[in-house]
Amino acid sequence: MSEYILETQNLNYQYPDGTPALKGISVKIEKGKKVALLGLNGAGKTTLFLHFNGILKASQGKVLFKGAEIKHNHKFLLDLRKKVGIVFQDPDSQLFAATVWQDISFGPLNLNLPEEVVEKRVLQALDSTGITYLKDKPTHFLSYGQKKSVSIADVLAMEPEVIIFDEPTAWLDPKHTAEIMQTFDRINEQGTTIILSTHDIDLAYAWADHIIVMGDGNILGEGLPQEILSDEDFLIKSGLVKPIILEIYEKIKSIGLIEKGKIPKNRDELLATLGEMYGKRKSLDK
Amino acid sequence: MILIDKYAYCNKFQGIHPMEKFIFSMGTMVLTISLNSLLVSCFVVIMVGALLIFRVGIPWKFYSKIMLMPISFLLLSLVTVATVITKQPIDLLYFFPLGAWKIGITKQGLITAELLFFKAMAAVSCLYFLSLTTPIIEIMTVLRKLKVPELFLELMSLIYRFIFVLMETADRIYISQSSRLGYSSVQKGYKSLGHLIGNIFIRAFKRSQDLYNALEARGYNGQLRVMEKKYVFSLQNILLIVLLDVFLVVIANLR
Repeated sequence: MSEYILETQNLNYQYPDGTPALKGISVKIEKGKKVALLGLNGAGKTTLFLHFNGILKASQGKVLFKGAEIKHNHKFLLDLRKKVGIVFQDPDSQLFAATVWQDISFGPLNLNLPEEVVEKRVLQALDSTGITYLKDKPTHFLSYGQKKSVSIADVLAMEPEVIIFDEPTAWLDPKHTAEIMQTFDRINEQGTTIILSTHDIDLAYAWADHIIVMGDGNILGEGLPQEILSDEDFLIKSGLVKPIILEIYEKIKSIGLIEKGKIPKNRDELLATLGEMYGKRKSLDK
Repeated sequence: MILIDKYAYCNKFQGIHPMEKFIFSMGTMVLTISLNSLLVSCFVVIMVGALLIFRVGIPWKFYSKIMLMPISFLLLSLVTVATVITKQPIDLLYFFPLGAWKIGITKQGLITAELLFFKAMAAVSCLYFLSLTTPIIEIMTVLRKLKVPELFLELMSLIYRFIFVLMETADRIYISQSSRLGYSSVQKGYKSLGHLIGNIFIRAFKRSQDLYNALEARGYNGQLRVMEKKYVFSLQNILLIVLLDVFLVVIANLR
């Protein structure tokens, strides 16, 4: 049986003005997984994230961390936020300190760690996001991509068990996107559960172990990327488009060019499949 | 203003302990003002200027420009110091009559104005020294050491950070407005400016809410604790500052 690190049961949330934002969400996040959350703008992704970290309080239903219901008291929340970190979409609303070093040190200092440990963690976080050279830079001199990296290092330095990224690749160039995704993989290999929301369906398909699709405050569906994202009806219903890799693979399969095999997840795997196909044809022709 | 901020971060005095720079700038300023000597003031203006241009690496063009900034204010106030309006038959260097009254300049007034001018310029150069070599965050380190209340420093740090965020926002709104001809006439300009200012206020409010959420997510408990960079005091620099200040006192007492 798999272990669930975060779970919601019939989670409902209304904005202060009464508009429902989440309508009975029940979802389970498995420990150590790479989870991608898809959904159109306004589907409720960010609102759900804010519940995972105890910033918003459910109007109805519950949120569980490692099987224990989240309580909204000071001690519990402090402990929860130590273990569940959120990287917000806009780094400018997350970075508050005047220098990179100061900003990253804020989280670990709130954990009441001794100074040497804080220093070590800041250095480590700088290293894993590849921004050690920005250490003493003032925050307002940074480019958008650099600010994004700092906002990730901010949370890494707290060494949480789950990290939630709210649209981490929005507005990023392809180079930074690739670098950030590699960072996520590295963090995940060390055992951290990663949840991210994105509009980039190709990226979600290639990266995630598990995909959750939200729409209008509900969970529309979830499952393995290659299963859930190949379901045409489901995709139309949820306003998504099939990942291009999967589309090409299915096309060449449907015209009988390849037989059943491993479904490619990314560009390289697809190219390998195509190469194999070509090789086979050639040997058949001979 | 923003250029000053930029130079504060990228200059050759970066590694020096901010406290040393603070003591040098404040000490010299207080001393110059209290010694009240023309010689000392002139010396300080030249010395600090030379220090900033040749050692700190501030371009002389930029430095002379910012030194000219206070001059217009200064000249206006000097006029009122140097001139007298009088009925008495006193010795005036230059005057023009206004009925029974005379408006003119006395020798004493001129000397006072001259002294005041150089004193003010010396004080300004000391302040420029601090702001051109020491970033705000380092000045805050100094203030923290001087036991300035934490609340004040936190506010200072947040304001400093968000000046740039809001400025960038304003800049973006301005560009988007002018690309749609929002500033094509004076009337439209005023209207657009009004929208811009209103928008900034709303965004500032939203930002503060977002920031609060983000801080909460990182375990904010009412105090913005951050770790500061460590600097080493240099005995040599302290000695140099003391020597210089003694020298100032000596030349003040030459005559």
